[in-house]
Amino acid sequence: MSDLTAAVRRARRGKRPPKRPASPMERREARWGYAFIAPWIIGFALFWLIPMLASLVFSTLDFQLTDPEATSFVGMSNWERAMSDPHTWQSLLVTLRFTVLFLPLSLVVALGLALLLNSAHLRGVGFFRLLFYAPSMIPLVAGILIWQQVLNPQTGWLNKIIGLTGVQATGAGGIRWFDNPVLVLFAFSFIGLWGVGNAMMINLAGLQGIPTQLYEAAAIDGAGWWRRLRTVTLPLLSPVMFYNLVIGSVLIMQYFVQPWVLFGATGHPEGGSRFLLIHFYQQAFVFGNMGYGAALAWFIFLVVAALTAVLFGTARFWVHYGSER
Amino acid sequence: MSVAAPERPEAAQTPARTHEEARMRRRRKRILWGGGVTLGAFLLVSLFLMPLGYGMVTALKDKDGVSDPNSPILPVSAEVFEYEGEEHEVYAVPMPGGEVRELALIEPGRESSVFIDPGDPGAGPIEWEGRWRTLDPVRGFNPQWGNFAEAWSTIDFVRLTAWTLFYALTTVFATVVSSAIVAYGFARFRFPFRKALFGLLMATILLPPAVTLVPKYAVFLQMGWIGTYLPLIVPHFFANAFNVFLLRQYFLTIPKELEEAARIDGAGPIRTFARVIVPQAIPALTAVSLFHFFYAWNDFFEPLLYLAGNRDIVPIGVGLSYFSGVYNTEPHLIMAASLLALVLPVAIFLAAQRVFVQGIVVTGVDK
Amino acid sequence: MRTKPLTRAPRTTRLRRTAGAVAVGACTALAAAACLDGGGASSTASDAVEIRWFVGMGAGSDAPTIPAQEQVVEEFNASQDEIELVLEVVDADQAPDILSTQIATGDAPDIVGPMGIRGRSTFPGAWLDLTPHIEQNDYDLSDFDPALVDFYQIEEEGQIGLPFAVFPSFLYVNLDLFDEAGLPYPPQEYGAPYVDADGTERPWNIETMTDLAMRLTVDAEGNDATDPAFDSDNIVQFGFGNIFADIRAQSTLFGAGSLVDEDGDARIPEPWVEAQQWYYDGMWEDHFMPNGPYGDSDMMGAGSWFESGNLGIGYTHLWYATCCMGGFEGDWDTAAVPASGGEVTAKLHADTFSITKDTEHPEEAFEVLTHLIGDAAEELTQTYGGMPARISLQDGYFDRVGDENFEGQDINWDVVVEGMSHVDNPSHEGGMPNFLEAESVLGEYGTRFSQEDDLDIEAELEALREDLQAVFDAA
Repeated sequence: MSDLTAAVRRARRGKRPPKRPASPMERREARWGYAFIAPWIIGFALFWLIPMLASLVFSTLDFQLTDPEATSFVGMSNWERAMSDPHTWQSLLVTLRFTVLFLPLSLVVALGLALLLNSAHLRGVGFFRLLFYAPSMIPLVAGILIWQQVLNPQTGWLNKIIGLTGVQATGAGGIRWFDNPVLVLFAFSFIGLWGVGNAMMINLAGLQGIPTQLYEAAAIDGAGWWRRLRTVTLPLLSPVMFYNLVIGSVLIMQYFVQPWVLFGATGHPEGGSRFLLIHFYQQAFVFGNMGYGAALAWFIFLVVAALTAVLFGTARFWVHYGSER
Repeated sequence: MSVAAPERPEAAQTPARTHEEARMRRRRKRILWGGGVTLGAFLLVSLFLMPLGYGMVTALKDKDGVSDPNSPILPVSAEVFEYEGEEHEVYAVPMPGGEVRELALIEPGRESSVFIDPGDPGAGPIEWEGRWRTLDPVRGFNPQWGNFAEAWSTIDFVRLTAWTLFYALTTVFATVVSSAIVAYGFARFRFPFRKALFGLLMATILLPPAVTLVPKYAVFLQMGWIGTYLPLIVPHFFANAFNVFLLRQYFLTIPKELEEAARIDGAGPIRTFARVIVPQAIPALTAVSLFHFFYAWNDFFEPLLYLAGNRDIVPIGVGLSYFSGVYNTEPHLIMAASLLALVLPVAIFLAAQRVFVQGIVVTGVDK
Repeated sequence: MRTKPLTRAPRTTRLRRTAGAVAVGACTALAAAACLDGGGASSTASDAVEIRWFVGMGAGSDAPTIPAQEQVVEEFNASQDEIELVLEVVDADQAPDILSTQIATGDAPDIVGPMGIRGRSTFPGAWLDLTPHIEQNDYDLSDFDPALVDFYQIEEEGQIGLPFAVFPSFLYVNLDLFDEAGLPYPPQEYGAPYVDADGTERPWNIETMTDLAMRLTVDAEGNDATDPAFDSDNIVQFGFGNIFADIRAQSTLFGAGSLVDEDGDARIPEPWVEAQQWYYDGMWEDHFMPNGPYGDSDMMGAGSWFESGNLGIGYTHLWYATCCMGGFEGDWDTAAVPASGGEVTAKLHADTFSITKDTEHPEEAFEVLTHLIGDAAEELTQTYGGMPARISLQDGYFDRVGDENFEGQDINWDVVVEGMSHVDNPSHEGGMPNFLEAESVLGEYGTRFSQEDDLDIEAELEALREDLQAVFDAA
């Protein structure tokens, strides 16, 4: 975490001091340093840098794996196609919509659970911590398949529980989680909340790191629970929250398994499960349009880069670094 | 979300009350709060884990029990009675006299039906006026443990698990060794562009790997690696950004004096790393191994892609998704298979829980 | 997700022990996996040529048919040691996408089948011309109807398959539900009328069937769909359903047609507009057909409606009998497909086995193919429920199927054979430009159609035509 925050701080501070020439000792140290990080440098070149650049080249080609000889240069036409393909914008919209829905939800739930587990009043903290964390350990696909049944409109328990409140939830006129492009995002959210354990644990660790004197001081000032949360807890927890936010948004941008297991590449219902990566996978690896797929991959890359820039750019306005070591 | 307020400050006390009274009041309040919060947490965790209960119950039902939307929660089966070689369901039938008899429906009709008394089939068929669909069937508790055995053999559970274990353990080994080496390089050596390179490393956590997939796939295909585990395993020998990040954080906390002592004894950087750092970092290495183990266990996209043509060797996540496609008319088997699939990872988690919690919770922030 | 900040965990012996255990476990698993790998498919130790057999483009991907196919593979592998046959069964819904991925990424299987006309339409140009292999091996084709062999002779592509089995369509009738409703059964002869309970004769057509279907649709209180008190939110039994059918398969009941006109443009045939309106009203107005929510529910067998026992009349092909009806608890029988506008159209599925063009072992693949349509054909046609294309196997075929799957039941199979005189031409599985993407457009239309109330079907079909045109143009 400190590296993320350091990056932000550096961006705020500006330039580093000028360098002086290196001594032989320093050069020796540098050689060893490079030797140690060599595996990563090689891996980065082989599995990131070169493929990324190659991908850019591919995006200008009409390329079929089965027929490499027929490859032809098509200029920007794959990019034009990506920009005019309604599925591209649909998948971007679905992904962003899900981000706006699920990200705040998961952050709030993770924070809420952490506050609960950190409460002095809770008995059996270890027991509850274990149970709230346990679903994070369930293999993702198994979790998805279980939730698929739980959200079954006729026989699933969720609709039956909702039905207890008097709302007509089961049956033909009921809530059909998987057949409506808005509801399906809630279905994905339920599945996603089962994985909230990690963020919860990180929050909990952050909470336990807040010095108790700060609370005592706030209490002497007469601050109630809500004000202490706002003035002490949240600012001191903001680096942790920022970290969770960044990781969470990165994962949503690569959202694939849940829609794939439930709907394949069909985009059912009405495009509601066509996330960016589903669209890419369908074009590149189902329809076999490799060149077009490469253009889409770069499109996703640019979206993620923009999003990350926005996140880090706004961080300086709300992420609090007072407690950094 | 129920969150407890810590106790109020004592400033509000009136002098008239004795100290003892105030303490009693505080104690009562604390018990009340504790009970309320714990109860709230209990309800919340029940709701949170409800799907598991549902999965368990569904996995024990028979096909009729899963498909009937009005069937009870528990795995029950309708009671049947065999009459003249055919099985007939038993219903609770209100008779004209007012009594309710349990009778087997042998000839259903829209407005009148024919029943037989299972206790006394010799008495002959009983005509009954009314709609049989409005009757309640008689059911008995009847969990189908055989569903698990059926799911176990149909998905070839042992093979799926063995391949998943193979994949998880080889990549744990590969990534932990390579990541530790790289992390040490970033933690202890100063060299030009270190910050920039580390930034690049961190960036690969954030950036979508899709951007590299098309060319990688084309090359792996040329090399004949598609349909094997090689494209899934080999990249892990070149360190993983996240693990490097975690391990570097840990290495930074190891006191430098230990390494200096080793260096004075004449140890080079490699020996220092192997003899001093690695033993010091066992907790971190263990935690990273466990984290990666679970990551690999859940890995889906790349196995799906690279093993599409070799379905015999897919890991369990991909195998489960294939299974759920073909067996979508048998939800009870899908549930049984899903529950089987979660047993091993959850058991490992429970066994290694302490390592996990330490790895996650014990941060550098002092209490 | 694995995101844990981690520093300064206290060193304890427990941790060391865990680490040790992990290391030991790793080694054990590596060793175990090495053995597995030896026996597995990725690097076979023996010199046998591996031939991959892909199932899912036609019959054969339903759970009950899998063990018999595995049996065939096992027996074949045991009978010789040159070829290692590997079976790959894929969910039929996903099969075109998966096969497309495999072909597009150069990872194609060797043999695909049984494969319907649709499979062939999906991958034009992907199949090996078998002519040289037939000549080289002097393969005897005299046991097939020459017309059927020619059926797989495609211009510019050659002999892309050999006949294996045909699957005529007919009505599946749940006799218990007819009895319960006090209705006589539908006719089992083409051209015969439907005779009412009071002896009145009515032509066996869509209207008559609709009436029956309404009477066979019942809510939880026992009201049928003609009753004003009928509660459409609590239906427990439906009258009619065209099982597993997309727009083309549905509409063919009203006459054969194609979504592609002579110029390669998109069009919706006139009878199909009427058909779609009838299906839509059947789902959303008159409720005698399962709509999306009901149709996907487990009560209706998650799409396999007739098998659930809660459907009066099901319309589908012969393969449904062996794939899905083996464990059926009630009594069922066959019936003739009703006429529409005086004409009967009983759509046909015809399956073949083909070899992919990209196979590295065409000769071995051909050997397997001739085994599957030869020695194994008797077993496989029974498993898949397809009428064998081999003339020598046709005699007594239905007796064998009946004995194996429906012992003690008297099922009238003549209707099935008679249906062959009313097959759909052009086929409802015929080709379309840019096939996979066109199918995905049809799929999206189908979702709205079955999931949404209050649609204007004519407008929807016009929109569909435009979407299809765009996909055809991109081809």
